[in-house]
Amino acid sequence: MPAKLWFVLKRVLQVVPVVLAIAALNFLLLHLAPGDAADIIAAQSGGASPEFVAELRRSFGLDRPLYQQFLVYIARLLTFDLGWSNVQQRPVFDLIADRVPATLLLMMTGITLALIFGTLLGILAAMRHRRWTDSVVSVLALLAYATPQFWLGLMLIVLFSITFGILPSGGMMTIGAVMSAGARALDIARHLLLPTLTLGLFYMAIYARLMRSSMLEVYTHEYITTARAKGLSEARVGLVHAASNALLPVVTLAGVQIGHLLGGSILVETVFGWPGLGRLVFDALLQRDLNLLLGILFVSSVVVVLINLAVDLLYGFLDPRIVHK
Amino acid sequence: MICNRSARLILAASFILASWSAAGAQQCGKTGGTLTYVYHPEPTALSTIATSAVPVAIISTKIYESLLSYEGAALTPKPSLAESWTVSDDKKTYTFKLRHDVKWHDGKPFTAEDVAFSVQKIVRPYSSRGKVYFGDLAALETPDPYTVVFKLKDAVPFFMNVFQPGETPILPKHAFDGIDVGTAAGVRGAEIMQKPIGTGPFRLKEWRKGSHIILERNPGYWDKGRPCLDQVVLRVLPDGAARAIAVETGEVDLAPMSGLPEAEIQRLSKLPQIVTSREGAEALGPNMWLEVNLREKPLADVKVRQAISMALDRQRIVDVIWYGQGTPGIGPIVSSNPTFFNKALKPYEYSPAKANALLDEAGYRRGADGVRFKMTQNFLPYGENWLRLAEYIRQELGKIGIAVETQSLDLGGWLKAIYTDWNFNITSTFSHNYSDPSIGVERTFTSENIKKGATFTNSMGYKNPRVDELFSKVARENDVAVRKKQFDEIQQILHDDLPVIFLMEMSYTHVWNKRVHGLITNGISMYSSWSGVWKE
Repeated sequence: MPAKLWFVLKRVLQVVPVVLAIAALNFLLLHLAPGDAADIIAAQSGGASPEFVAELRRSFGLDRPLYQQFLVYIARLLTFDLGWSNVQQRPVFDLIADRVPATLLLMMTGITLALIFGTLLGILAAMRHRRWTDSVVSVLALLAYATPQFWLGLMLIVLFSITFGILPSGGMMTIGAVMSAGARALDIARHLLLPTLTLGLFYMAIYARLMRSSMLEVYTHEYITTARAKGLSEARVGLVHAASNALLPVVTLAGVQIGHLLGGSILVETVFGWPGLGRLVFDALLQRDLNLLLGILFVSSVVVVLINLAVDLLYGFLDPRIVHK
Repeated sequence: MICNRSARLILAASFILASWSAAGAQQCGKTGGTLTYVYHPEPTALSTIATSAVPVAIISTKIYESLLSYEGAALTPKPSLAESWTVSDDKKTYTFKLRHDVKWHDGKPFTAEDVAFSVQKIVRPYSSRGKVYFGDLAALETPDPYTVVFKLKDAVPFFMNVFQPGETPILPKHAFDGIDVGTAAGVRGAEIMQKPIGTGPFRLKEWRKGSHIILERNPGYWDKGRPCLDQVVLRVLPDGAARAIAVETGEVDLAPMSGLPEAEIQRLSKLPQIVTSREGAEALGPNMWLEVNLREKPLADVKVRQAISMALDRQRIVDVIWYGQGTPGIGPIVSSNPTFFNKALKPYEYSPAKANALLDEAGYRRGADGVRFKMTQNFLPYGENWLRLAEYIRQELGKIGIAVETQSLDLGGWLKAIYTDWNFNITSTFSHNYSDPSIGVERTFTSENIKKGATFTNSMGYKNPRVDELFSKVARENDVAVRKKQFDEIQQILHDDLPVIFLMEMSYTHVWNKRVHGLITNGISMYSSWSGVWKE
């Protein structure tokens, strides 16, 4: 069998024990948190008798010994049953599936735009090294990186929703209005603009600076001197030869961050009221909704592991010198 | 004698009614339109049986109704699902005649069977105040499909208050066919908790979790010509500043129940298109205090508690931390209670000098470093105001020589520390009075409510036989004047004893765009059906 196929097979088989270990660790960690869902539900109702709380706890299965709860959980995971959310009264899988499209839309748009513009800006800054373009890009990147996302988001809302009044202040779409598919797509795009900007600027700064420093390092390699000696234009040297070789660190970082895709961005989702997974995790933690939390963590860990695998394969594609064993 | 007093009460109530009924016009000012409101967090269910948390209570009371509706701050009963009612002379038998023309949202007819089922099988066992309301129910009879008779073991003075749509919603019996209502899991997991079927003016159209809930008009609603609105929409916006912006731009019409940060409320109240009101929640009566763990010295000593009380400037807490949206606390019953508040209570004094003197007298002298003793404090993890309150308390108590260490926990951790482990010295918290002090106040101060694991009960370990005796009598006393005397005495004892340090009567401030009308109708305005609310 070709080496690459062996490699892939080995890695896919490794996914199973890794994910199970993560699930076990999550389970133990979450049970360390004091208080449980029964307490919180009773409290939010303004208090209840201890019998009522005990009955709730029993119906959630929280009164069983820890090892029993753990075995039940692992057994369910192996059959891909993510369980039932006691706080939200719906299957965990449904709750996650509901939020995945919105999360993917936001994160993919944000990271893709950040990648494209970040790498372009990084290349530009490296090619115009030590000139004023480089300084401007570097300073802007630093500002974008240092600005807190929740502040940036709110300032954008104040500017575009209140002062100019041209963009909506939150949510994913206009509620209650009946629209054609095209109009709906446009509506969502309008709502997507500010959150993507808030999210994207941060990542863009990272990619720009990383690409810039990677390019500067690549410029010292011998094949660049060769290319110049052969008479290629500076643009071609920079954009074709240097950039493609400088891409690897950026791909690594992008891979890591895309792995966190399903984690959503809790800050952006909170400020803009975007219905994503980041907020779901946060709410679930505060409500001690263990089944939901474990479900999301499990799905996220699977996604991270698979994306890591994809990135490793991508390396081999980008850089033929890398051999997979 | 009793008749005269009742007549006087009704007369007083109708004066209150007159001032409230300005918005209670029978005709809608305009029919149609959508009311959009914001509140955080998002409801986890659409019925107060699953949980009676504020966001659920706001939305489910548009979908479900109860036998009565109410008018005015004192909750004067009005017909809702019940057309008329009679009360026996001994106040132990209540007979309700139900409306004949009511249909559930799925078209099936509403009958007395639904009432009997809801009260006995759902509300009494599973609602958090079910036992308080119906614990004394000896029998419930349905002699015909439109008559319900409640027979009580003892005369319960607040029984007419229990039929609020949030407290005792009437659910359809047929929605529970095949469901085991003997367990909490069965009831909470029933489909109707997520896909409600009620009799109310609005029914569920769409619920996108994390984004919004849309309620649409119930075309078969029994009150012809109502509701005025076509739709009620809840938008889920987790960030307080973002909610305030949405109200300011007009994208959202209403932010009820102090759903906006107080600083934003203060800012928005100055805008010409915005209306703010602290009325409409008198029958909730949120009361904020510091619960004190009385089991150990030095806090077991009443002089120490008095000193702590004197070291805190309540007016400053109201003005600076809550932006003026509150009233300095004075006792267990809030001053907006129209019937039972004890006006003779003396306001608490702010005097660090006297506090210092009291602590010296109690035997806790300052050490070489100026510290008399150390203590920890917790705070209710409901937001930034509580953190600031904790910082203020630490600062002020530091001035009188008490070194306070603040412990920060999230809600789950806090509940466990305070109500399960009793592992705390003092904590800030608040409690609702509800529509009668026997419902909301008794649970904090009687010794039989010292229950490990039960949230919002007597965590302090306070045992006062006289208070226990008074609470037990007042819960079954039907003469309002006698009840007033009993509550007056309770308030005076608790005011002086300080098992909790009363700090502030909170207010629920509602913020809305002036194009919305008819919101404030009674002491539970945001938990009412909004059938008469209209928008320009």
